[in-house]
Amino acid sequence: MTIDATMVGRSYAAAESYQVGREKIREFADAIGDPNPAYRGADAVAPPTFAFMLGSRALEQLLNDEELGLRLDRIVHGAQKFSYTRPIKAGDDIAATATITTVRKAGDVEVIMYETALTTVDGDPIATSTSTISHNRADA
Amino acid sequence: MIEVGTELPPLTVTLRREDLVRYAGASGDFNPIHWSDRMAAALGLPGVIAHGMLTMASAVRVVTDWISDPADLLEYGVRFTKPVVVPDDDKGASVTFSAKVDKVADGRAEIDITAVAGEEKVLGRARAVVRVR
Repeated sequence: MTIDATMVGRSYAAAESYQVGREKIREFADAIGDPNPAYRGADAVAPPTFAFMLGSRALEQLLNDEELGLRLDRIVHGAQKFSYTRPIKAGDDIAATATITTVRKAGDVEVIMYETALTTVDGDPIATSTSTISHNRADA
Repeated sequence: MIEVGTELPPLTVTLRREDLVRYAGASGDFNPIHWSDRMAAALGLPGVIAHGMLTMASAVRVVTDWISDPADLLEYGVRFTKPVVVPDDDKGASVTFSAKVDKVADGRAEIDITAVAGEEKVLGRARAVVRVR
């Protein structure tokens, strides 16, 4: 199967919520080389791009949809955007749902845009992540 | 006072292989193009490249170092236009980020960010929106 525009609107919820811990935030801040004190300690908030990681369990579900026929090793990340309602902080328990918003085809390449809503487990909005990926179906 | 044309203090970041391995571990993105020359070459890349999300994380530091409250960042987006090739040596790859206020209206400032590695811009349309108090 391959992805096409009729699949716009399909939604994939992460199987489990993501429990944000302050040590994970610190590890991530260290890994991006950012010494900002806001990312450390008991009241730590997460660096802005931490939000991308929170969508990965929803993305996993999307990639597992056999009808789309997508392979991770054929995907290039083209663009990324975040809108924040509030910062992500230690102690948050976050649910993620990814929805396909656009599918464009150019030969063997499929350009797919999907939006990931990050909310509390009660549904209060935290952030939205919009990703554009290119999937190349051509055999190398 | 934030005004159109205000330039934010620039930042230069050096990325070495070690940094890519650390980011892979922390983010869970273990795509081999970020650590294996063999796999990068097999995909036609000039070498191991930095995670786009790592470059994106570094770029926004220009903005988050400048605003006092991280909660004032409302939007942030980039396009990944050129890969940052990270050689397996002590020097690594240097990326310089600069930023300028492009628009101020309705309690929001829009900031354009530029990311340059070597002579090339590696991010396109990199833009952050912050709350202005």
